[in-house]
Amino acid sequence: MSIKNEKEVNTNIIQEMLNQKKARMKLSLAACAGCSLCAESCFLFVSKNQDPRYMPSYKVVYSLGKLYKKKGKVNWKALEEMKDLVWKNCVLCERCYCPFGIDIPNMIAFTRSILRSQGISGVYPHTLGAPEELLNEE
Amino acid sequence: MIKSERKPLEEIIGLLSGYKKILNVGCGGCSSVCLAGGLKEVNDLNTMLSLTFQKDNVPFEINGFTVERQCEMEFLSELDSMINSYDAVLSMACGAGVQFLAERFPDKPVFPALNTKFVGVNKDIGWYEERCKSCGDCILGLTGGICPVTMCAKSLFNGPCGGPQDGHCEVDKDIPCAWINIYDRLKRQNRLENIHKIYEAREWQDQIQGRIVLEAYKDRYIVEED
Amino acid sequence: MYDLVRGPLLWLAFILFLAGIIYRVVQLFLLTRKKETARYSKNIIKKTEQNKRSSEEQKFKLVLAFQNSLIGKNPVMAIVSFTFHLCLFIAPIFAVGHSLSLYESFGVSFITLPDKIIDLLTIILLACTIFFLMRRIVIPRVQSISTSYDYLLLFITALPFLTGFYAYHQYFDYKTVITLHIAAGEVMLIAMPFTKLGHMVFFFFVRIFVGSEHSFGKGKRVWS
Repeated sequence: MSIKNEKEVNTNIIQEMLNQKKARMKLSLAACAGCSLCAESCFLFVSKNQDPRYMPSYKVVYSLGKLYKKKGKVNWKALEEMKDLVWKNCVLCERCYCPFGIDIPNMIAFTRSILRSQGISGVYPHTLGAPEELLNEE
Repeated sequence: MIKSERKPLEEIIGLLSGYKKILNVGCGGCSSVCLAGGLKEVNDLNTMLSLTFQKDNVPFEINGFTVERQCEMEFLSELDSMINSYDAVLSMACGAGVQFLAERFPDKPVFPALNTKFVGVNKDIGWYEERCKSCGDCILGLTGGICPVTMCAKSLFNGPCGGPQDGHCEVDKDIPCAWINIYDRLKRQNRLENIHKIYEAREWQDQIQGRIVLEAYKDRYIVEED
Repeated sequence: MYDLVRGPLLWLAFILFLAGIIYRVVQLFLLTRKKETARYSKNIIKKTEQNKRSSEEQKFKLVLAFQNSLIGKNPVMAIVSFTFHLCLFIAPIFAVGHSLSLYESFGVSFITLPDKIIDLLTIILLACTIFFLMRRIVIPRVQSISTSYDYLLLFITALPFLTGFYAYHQYFDYKTVITLHIAAGEVMLIAMPFTKLGHMVFFFFVRIFVGSEHSFGKGKRVWS
């Protein structure tokens, strides 16, 4: 008897979605100079003791950037890590500032819709009052 | 989302007079999205207040901290460790957030820095419009997605009042008549029969504090009564 | 080797540079569209409270604008970046050596700055580059997002200036160094539109034309 621990990733859907916005997203990812000046505009970065994982460019590069780099061929574990980056580490308040004008919230929202296409979505709220069934899944 | 607007500076100064050390708590939810009470606005307000009080030689210290949302106790717990060193708290969240903040710290005076205006949408950056009055009994399915409670100046339920001129409301010629829009919308969708339905007199339900307990959670909170 | 680098490759570099810039601008135009902004009549605004507040806030406008600008938030980075970019443009355009090359090739010359000034600008630029390098290595949030690609591009940017400095001062074998200098310049020219160095086009287009909270001006375009 084999126990299947890994959930199935539907790579085709991910690739299709990535292709739809390829030009704009890849341009935005390419234009990111990694200057980290977006950090102070994120209240989460500021209130979590300047943890780099809350920096807007970090969130995008390690979620959407990773998806484009691997051309959508990621495993479930990678998707779960991205889930935390774009749901736990970001509230989509849309206030992040990029000196080059890169539209960061749009990229986070796009990543969220890709994750939703795989049946992954943020558990809300994270610990308080979430139904038992959802908590057990984590 | 809930759209709010910052109170005039003079009013906030009036509220804070007499307090020496203030904690300005921002909100990363609705307030941030409508550019009213996010991290940037907290910093801006702190600067304006500090400069004003400094000019009048009044001892004044204000620090800012933005939490994820003020409408959740879990997120307000971040403030527990720092609250004691302040005389008063200024909140840049909507009215709901201010009240939760006041509930969590009942010994500290909590002041609102925003006026909560409405439930609305983003027309464009910095331009927000009301779309919902939270009446509690949504009839958007019958009106083609246009809310007569919000968009009609008189919140009429059974068609236009006979006052519209050139498709605009008699109350204000800059406001389109909601019922003419509803008519056009329903006509476009071939659902005009909805407009013939007579609605009963609305029982206004939002006069007392609203409460929702979802079905799936009722068991957790029900107390046996005998 | 020198002739190859000084001749056809230089042509290639400039052509690719210009073509690349045009490509990026066109791409940005195609990726955005003019948005139809709904207009409200001024009467609506007069009736709301918004006008009441504008007079008292005018006096804070400058202070807040400064505080929220790049120089207000990260003054060191802003100054270094500005100085770096200034030297980056002035040094190559007004260098005597470059003007002489232009004269050699086309019989036209360009206005130049004294050698000592160009030298100073180059040293300042290299110092700024070292600052960027250290920043990338030392500061955790920058390091968390840096890859070898970022370090490589920094090197590509510094190399023309470093080799130019050596060539001018005639360190090592002049012929080798000057060939290296021209080659390094070519690599940078070609890299500019096609790598993240193209932020120069991106920055101006997006911050000026695309509407957002941070756009300069009205921002009549929107990403499509």
